[in-house]
Amino acid sequence: MRNAAPFRAPKVSLRGGTPPARSTWRGGWLAAGIGLLLFFPLSSPDAFFLDVFTTGFLLAAFAASWDVVGGVSGQTTLGHALPFGTAAYACALLTSFAGWPLPLAVGAAVLLAAAVGAGIGTLSAPLAGPFVALLTLALGEIAHEVAVGHTFFSGPGGYAWGGEGGIPVALPWRDASPFSSYYAALGFLCLASFGMLRFLRSEAGLILRAVAGSPITAQASGVPIARFKRLAFAVGSAFAGAAGAGFALHVGRATATDLSLELSFQAATFAAVGGRGTIVGPVVAALVLHLLFQGLSLPPSVRVLLYALTLLLVLRFFPGGVVGTARDLASRLGGKEGGRSRRIRGRYRNGEGAP
Amino acid sequence: MTVDSGTLLRLPRILIRSAALFLSLSSPAFFAAPCVAAGSSDTLKIGVLAPLSGPYAAGGTSFAQAATLAVEQANAEGGVSGQRVTIVVGDTQGRVDVAKSEALRLVSREKVSALVGAYLSEETVGVMEVAAAERMVLIVPVAATAEITDKVRQEYDRYRYVFRVGYSLPQWAERIAAFLSDRNVARYAFVGAGIRWNLELGETLERIAAPRGITPAYTAFYSPGNPAFDTVAVAAAAASPDIVILADPGRNSVSFLKRLRETAPTLPALSIGGALGDARLAASVPLSAPVYVQAAAWRGVSPAATAYVELYEHRYGAPPVGYSDTLPFDAVTVLVAAWRKAGSVESAVVVPVLERGAFPGVAGTYRFDAAHQALWGTGPGALQGTFVRWERGGARIVFPPR
Amino acid sequence: MASPLLQVLLDGLLAGGTYALMAAGMALILGVVKVINLSHGAFFTLGAYVAYALAARGVESPIAAAPLAAVIAFAFGVFLGKSFVNPVRSHPFALTVGTLAFALLFEQAAQMVWGPHPLSIDAGAPWIGPGGLVVRRWGVIAFFSSAALLGGLKWLLSARPGLSLRLIAEDEEIAGSLGMDVETIRYLTFGGACAMAAAAGALLSPSGAVTPTMGRAPLLLSLVVVIVAGMDSVAAIFLLSIGLGILGNACAWFLSPQWSYVALLAAVCLLLSARPAGIVALAGRRD
Repeated sequence: MRNAAPFRAPKVSLRGGTPPARSTWRGGWLAAGIGLLLFFPLSSPDAFFLDVFTTGFLLAAFAASWDVVGGVSGQTTLGHALPFGTAAYACALLTSFAGWPLPLAVGAAVLLAAAVGAGIGTLSAPLAGPFVALLTLALGEIAHEVAVGHTFFSGPGGYAWGGEGGIPVALPWRDASPFSSYYAALGFLCLASFGMLRFLRSEAGLILRAVAGSPITAQASGVPIARFKRLAFAVGSAFAGAAGAGFALHVGRATATDLSLELSFQAATFAAVGGRGTIVGPVVAALVLHLLFQGLSLPPSVRVLLYALTLLLVLRFFPGGVVGTARDLASRLGGKEGGRSRRIRGRYRNGEGAP
Repeated sequence: MTVDSGTLLRLPRILIRSAALFLSLSSPAFFAAPCVAAGSSDTLKIGVLAPLSGPYAAGGTSFAQAATLAVEQANAEGGVSGQRVTIVVGDTQGRVDVAKSEALRLVSREKVSALVGAYLSEETVGVMEVAAAERMVLIVPVAATAEITDKVRQEYDRYRYVFRVGYSLPQWAERIAAFLSDRNVARYAFVGAGIRWNLELGETLERIAAPRGITPAYTAFYSPGNPAFDTVAVAAAAASPDIVILADPGRNSVSFLKRLRETAPTLPALSIGGALGDARLAASVPLSAPVYVQAAAWRGVSPAATAYVELYEHRYGAPPVGYSDTLPFDAVTVLVAAWRKAGSVESAVVVPVLERGAFPGVAGTYRFDAAHQALWGTGPGALQGTFVRWERGGARIVFPPR
Repeated sequence: MASPLLQVLLDGLLAGGTYALMAAGMALILGVVKVINLSHGAFFTLGAYVAYALAARGVESPIAAAPLAAVIAFAFGVFLGKSFVNPVRSHPFALTVGTLAFALLFEQAAQMVWGPHPLSIDAGAPWIGPGGLVVRRWGVIAFFSSAALLGGLKWLLSARPGLSLRLIAEDEEIAGSLGMDVETIRYLTFGGACAMAAAAGALLSPSGAVTPTMGRAPLLLSLVVVIVAGMDSVAAIFLLSIGLGILGNACAWFLSPQWSYVALLAAVCLLLSARPAGIVALAGRRD
């Protein structure tokens, strides 16, 4: 008798309360990766490559922030560019129009992004699954349309700002040195990832994972689900906003593409390829994909084709994400929590019934 | 599972650490691999920045094709001081960050001697920063925002390397107003996507056309994400203007024109250029009323223009549309001419030559004003541009009158 | 000349009815295969290009192009279903991103084959209806073709083959244990739904320009229709799609064409906030 597709549990391992062996394993990889990145500029690459890495670091932080919302907390958001772009625009508007000093503007931008995230969280709390995706997509598109369609005239010169051309950020420096941009972005990525991982290991993070795994059980245990969903969105959006502010500083301009659907899809893509729920997975996926496809000078049509094919192949053979699958293999080799118990826990994880 | 995790994990850690060391020591070799020989003495490189993928790929592709044609022509004329000229293309993908990144690649890796581009306004402003920092000549063929020339004017020392050969928005509006006068239009409708570029053009046109007694009967912009062609076409026709101006250069103009023709078959339309310059697209729309297209140059305007159009058609199978191909062609031509005149590719020498000189191109002779804007307009030496009307056999030039 | 408002509403009705075909396809995929098919717009574009290819060879009839487009799209859809959708079935999120990757692949392939420049098919002269109302010839034909196909789909779903689809949508394990070849049905459904999107694309191709990225806007619209209307009733999808077309044009008319899309999206957000479980069946799913 032919059965339906075998109900394979998503292969993502839990990280709360890990045994020491696995944390050193992970620590080894991370240390090696960070060491590599720290020493890379000293091998004197050109300004272009440093620039690609810088953008890659910012995108990686953005992808990790998606994972806080969409991976760990199970709220698939297709509008994560909204807090990213909000922070970028806030930086630009506050420095160019209101004349705020840069650090103040950046801080305000991140706070604003967190507030926007809290708003999205409130709106999406009663929803589930594809409805969250649709709502966040609609909100992101609304913001994008407003950004493209709204123009205002600057003081000197009389030409218009805003719209598709974006708004410049009034930077205190003229041309940033590629080295300082690189290290600043790398430092930001490390700090942000560290912050996100700490958040996940905190009590709030564990509750979020429980809510994602089985909302009914969590609700029955008395967890205020709506509050925690809002928290997930707020935290994820705060980090996205930080990445967005960094991006605005790096590029020198906030444009409507910072709010675009393509950017939101990009975050989701990195998370899918890297491993939803792992935080490190999206970071690695974002770095590798961005470096490969922007850094190697491929002809444009080849680049897009290869990118799409790579995504298809990776997702076909590593549907749980590359890092997610690697983690699974590692934990199976490590043996402590392998086998049936993990699979059962994994089944209810991430609300995998929902697209 | 009975594997001893401790010993098993130690081995990979050693491997990881040595791999990391190896990789960081060998990374220059790995990443520097695709580097081209830095500035070999018999080839001059021009960096071309245009969107070759993404939603603006159509304009960017014509851009790159025309630039290729221009350097081929330059080489056929003997190159620059005996050196061959080639172009290196960077795909900007329609994004500022990628445009800046590609500009950096062209400058630091490919060692180009000058830049031509980009296509969108925001891309161009980003590339301007790179050009200013690297002190490299940048010729802007298409992006029409005032921000470019204003920056040159306000911070001349930093941005003096940037020159625009395309028309600015006021120049564009001036040409349209002159054409409307010529056609005895009293009331026009102005429609396009709700982007800054169109909004500014609409305002500028209204301001410039008013002294000539030409006023807008209807102005509307549709959402770029989900255009409401039906509503705007019906409303525009209902306002009974003498002509409808289609401000979108791309595919929207075709879709809109089809709607308009269904609702108001006898209403003339003017497209400010772009997709409707393509004969096949124009042929798919009924010719029950005139369809005019504005272009930088067209076959028959001058011998140079005719030669260019035929060369382009021979090479790429279809004639150019007259905007996103003609202007980049002229940008490269002007650059090469400036190099020849200056006898060098050093920016410090080329910039004064560009500022003071006159350079013949397909659209006419290019001279630049104090803000490094090419002089398009109605004056004696100015570049004029062309308006054509689609007819059964092809396009006929209707303005400026021959 | 007829009342402009009436004209605008009629245009919205005709377009909406044709988009319903695409939305129904997406609903099938969401219900049976349980994934948001982000490559649906790519199949729409494929249909439009097939219509263009035929027009370039002298067959300027989207009605003739639609079946051909459906067959080609069915083949691609089945291939995608067998090679990607079925194996990755247990990871819906990876599946959704995979369909996105396929859309990207298709857009680039279309650009390489037909070029990035917009192409156009001659729509022919419109009919003049009562009161001077302009009735787009291909608009009407597309509308009725779509209605006919959807009627057929409704009949199919209520007949025997449709029962297995409904059962799979309801609970796969039971369907499997009843002896249904769920895998095969799944990829056949995927192919069929993609064929519907391609048919819609071919039918709507004369209305505008054909470009590689033209499917993005219809994709979002059909996604909105499906999630708000649910997947239970073909009639609901058809009516809501028409309603969306009319609403969009009415918004553009009464408010402002520039913000009609924003108004539509805001309406969707309001609706989702007011009815968080959506209108129908998705509420019954485990989440």
